[in-house]
Amino acid sequence: MNPNILLRNNVKVAGSGTRPMIFAPGFGCDQNVWQSVAKDFEEEYQIILFDYVGSGNSDIEAYNVERYSTLEGYAQDVLDVCSALDLKDAIFVGHSVGCVIGMLASIKHPEYFSKLVLVGPSPCYLNFPNDYYGGFEKEQLLGLIDMMDKNYIGWATAFAGTVMNNPDRPELKRDLENRFCSTDPIIARQFAEVTFFADNRKDLAKVKLPSLILQCSEDVIAPSAVGEYIHKHLPDSTLKMMKATGHCPHISHPEETISLISQYLDEFNTNDL
Amino acid sequence: MNEQLNEAPCGYFTLSEEDAILSVNQTLLKILGYNLDQLNGQPINFILSASAILFHQLYLVPLIKLENHIEEIYISLKSVDDEEIPVLLNAVRRERDGRTIIECVVIPMRKRNELENELLIAKKEAVTALNARNKAYSDLENAHETMKVQKDKLIELNKKNEKYKVDTEREMDLAKKIQETLLPVPIINEHVEIQAYYKGSNQLSGDLYGFYQIDAQRYGLILLDVMGHGLSSALITMSLQSIFQRLIIKGSEVKTVMKELDDHLHSLFKNTSETGHYCTAVYLLIDTDKREINYINAGHPSVLLQDMNGKQYQMRSNRPPLGMFEDMSFKTNTLTYNKGSKLCLYTDGVEEPLGSDRLCSLVKTYSAAPLSTLKEEIIQSLRNEEDSDSRKDDQSLILVNLK
Repeated sequence: MNPNILLRNNVKVAGSGTRPMIFAPGFGCDQNVWQSVAKDFEEEYQIILFDYVGSGNSDIEAYNVERYSTLEGYAQDVLDVCSALDLKDAIFVGHSVGCVIGMLASIKHPEYFSKLVLVGPSPCYLNFPNDYYGGFEKEQLLGLIDMMDKNYIGWATAFAGTVMNNPDRPELKRDLENRFCSTDPIIARQFAEVTFFADNRKDLAKVKLPSLILQCSEDVIAPSAVGEYIHKHLPDSTLKMMKATGHCPHISHPEETISLISQYLDEFNTNDL
Repeated sequence: MNEQLNEAPCGYFTLSEEDAILSVNQTLLKILGYNLDQLNGQPINFILSASAILFHQLYLVPLIKLENHIEEIYISLKSVDDEEIPVLLNAVRRERDGRTIIECVVIPMRKRNELENELLIAKKEAVTALNARNKAYSDLENAHETMKVQKDKLIELNKKNEKYKVDTEREMDLAKKIQETLLPVPIINEHVEIQAYYKGSNQLSGDLYGFYQIDAQRYGLILLDVMGHGLSSALITMSLQSIFQRLIIKGSEVKTVMKELDDHLHSLFKNTSETGHYCTAVYLLIDTDKREINYINAGHPSVLLQDMNGKQYQMRSNRPPLGMFEDMSFKTNTLTYNKGSKLCLYTDGVEEPLGSDRLCSLVKTYSAAPLSTLKEEIIQSLRNEEDSDSRKDDQSLILVNLK
């Protein structure tokens, strides 16, 4: 076990089960997004939560512009954590870009994983006319980056302000510590560019593990057409349409998310028997 | 919605937990160009720009869910005419009348947005300039480092060169000494007195001479000047020396000696594209009994013969230098001398500074004096000429008194 990696990626291990289940957050989010979902699997599984370098409570000093200029760099974070904990046949649960990161990790080292659960995945966010519908035009994605640029100052000061002006409310301090999307602005910006301009469509066919795709209704980030595209190109995949709307069912609709994942895993366990 | 909120100087709207629009105040309806019926029940995405839809989904949904409020968020709304309206957004998630709603306030910020755009552009330019400066600085440092390394290399190389030069000079001095040991010692007996003088140039010598007593009455005298100086000329000189010494000592004929030397020079460069070195040479075979000299002069300065009455005769070159043309025949010249004659052989290193006339007159002037006096006088004359022409050539001189 490499304690440096565990510190670097703020790895948290919980649960009373033996079978490992590793949760990878989506863009700009830290491990806290998995709180409600992960809790439900603690009895049966060994739960592993982590933050990508640059997100959450990871060691920001370990950030390296070159390494994290592609999703492979983030996939290496996942592999480092798996290696540090000596994982085998883990169930990988990813959200959004975390799904592609998990796929890339599983292509490189399939032995660490047994199956992939992909919540709101998208291999490519850009539209390619007559070829592929990712949901976004280039200008719209550039607009998002611009919006991130303009909100940096707002966030940084807002968070700091909340603490400073409320010395008699220590729970806000705790909120801050558990804050969501607490990513360094410069790192977040690079992550956004890496995420939203990536095209990993060709990698889908290289994934050899069975996978579950959880597709939300009315997901503007990963529309249903994208979910279907992945299902078509990802070997051994199961597609489940969710009642949950939006892009973050693990936050907005944890119960449905949990039940679909359990159902999928149970089917496997039954088959195993 | 009460009238004050409805007409408030800011946009106000509420959302359900599923992000459906529940209410919108008049101010916001006016900003967006919709009426209430068009918006009621619509998802919030309906009034967001495409970039804002992404941003809302990625940041605002989780942020509101986990923190229950957001403040000062820049986002752009979309009007009925598809116009983007930059706004600042505050939102609070709270329980009201038994259900969870999200209350939002927006303030358009077109002017401030322009200012921020300009600030961002200025900031990007500043960052670009800073990066360029840092890069230029690091390039400069690298160049400096490279230069330092090259300078060190150069110094190292220079040291090696210096050492090489010293080593080479030492080797050259040694080689010169070895060459000089090959020069013969004077011969003095009842028939003949032979004295010589040699002064090398700064480099290795291309001049070489030898004189040998072959038997009771025969003496062989040879003088050569290989074209050029330095290592190659010196090595050729050495190889010629071993040949003529062997031939002369066993009393070979004059033309045999010269022919062998000529053949050797041709054979040296037979299989190379190098230009052959040639060599001027004169060989005299003296018979003191018959008082006869057989000689061949191949391209060499004339040999001076002066009889006891002071009459002078030049043994001129009668063929091209050795090593120049192949397969040429050698013709031996013969002349007789009488008692008290003198011979003076020299290379062009002696002839050029003094001139043959000066040499002739020196020999004549000191005809009665001992040979050593004549030698000293010639050497002195050479020294007098030295400063004008700083010893570019080897100087060899052989003086013979035929008793």
